[in-house]
Amino acid sequence: MKVTIRYFARYRSLVGKSEEELEVPDGITVRELIGILKERHPALKNEVFAEDDDLADVNVSRNGRYVRFDEVLKDGDIVAIFPPVSGG
Amino acid sequence: MLSERELVRYDRQIMVFGVEGQEKLKSAKVAVVGVGGLGSPVAYYLAAAGIGTLLLIDEQKPELSNLNRQILHWEEDLNKNPKSESARWKLERFNSGIKIETFVGRLTVENIDDVLAGVDVVVDCLDNFETRFMLDDYVHERGIPLVHGAVEGTFGQVTTIVPGRTMRLREIFPKVREKKGKFPIIGATAGVVGSIQVMEVIKLLTGYGEPLLNRLLIIDLAHNSFDLVKLR
Repeated sequence: MKVTIRYFARYRSLVGKSEEELEVPDGITVRELIGILKERHPALKNEVFAEDDDLADVNVSRNGRYVRFDEVLKDGDIVAIFPPVSGG
Repeated sequence: MLSERELVRYDRQIMVFGVEGQEKLKSAKVAVVGVGGLGSPVAYYLAAAGIGTLLLIDEQKPELSNLNRQILHWEEDLNKNPKSESARWKLERFNSGIKIETFVGRLTVENIDDVLAGVDVVVDCLDNFETRFMLDDYVHERGIPLVHGAVEGTFGQVTTIVPGRTMRLREIFPKVREKKGKFPIIGATAGVVGSIQVMEVIKLLTGYGEPLLNRLLIIDLAHNSFDLVKLR
């Protein structure tokens, strides 16, 4: 199945583009998709995701709605990943 | 009741939300927690809007490297006047018709009830999630709104928490990893995000427009994008 990934903020800068369409195995979860993205974009793996808790710094929306990591994706989904910022 | 002077001073915004809206702003007390990069534009615009009572909370003193963004603090305040007092001095001269209270100290679970007593809206201008979650807990005990904002570099996020109607801050950001030490920031990023936070306060108090309830606004000023994510 095909899904569209949208990168926000720091992720967009690291990946170098705002979105891309990917062919992924049917019925994967958000967590599995993020695993694929980390392999595809080492910059995400190295600079963003924590080693001890690899989903610590990721927020994800599916078709504009905030989701958890165990959410199962469908063909045609638009998945956005964004890093929360904390400065003031 | 608004005075003749207030009717003139706030004329251009009364054109938006009416005299009733202005009276609601006048009778409100809003807490600005953190008077730094976000807190400076937030406190400034809240004062400009005629919020009746502002409570400014910060225990730090401004440092030279703060001045690229913390525009309520000037060179003469460096390492001398606590940020909440520094801000009060300017804002009292900017708008003598509002009341400005300060708390020079750190919010703790022990003092938060006393410090925030009587506050109608809390504006999160903090730089860490530990204290943000304390605010989140407090507003849920009290049933008052919390306007969350955060910035880094050219990025920012804003959402408004209304207990019972929206997700909690803890639910939205369950696993935020705190970055220790200094973070990159361009002052105008805080200006944009802080201005949006003030719009949230004004919408909450006047009933005009739609606050960002269950919506997370994600701002990327490097790539000119404003995206809304539905939180539920």
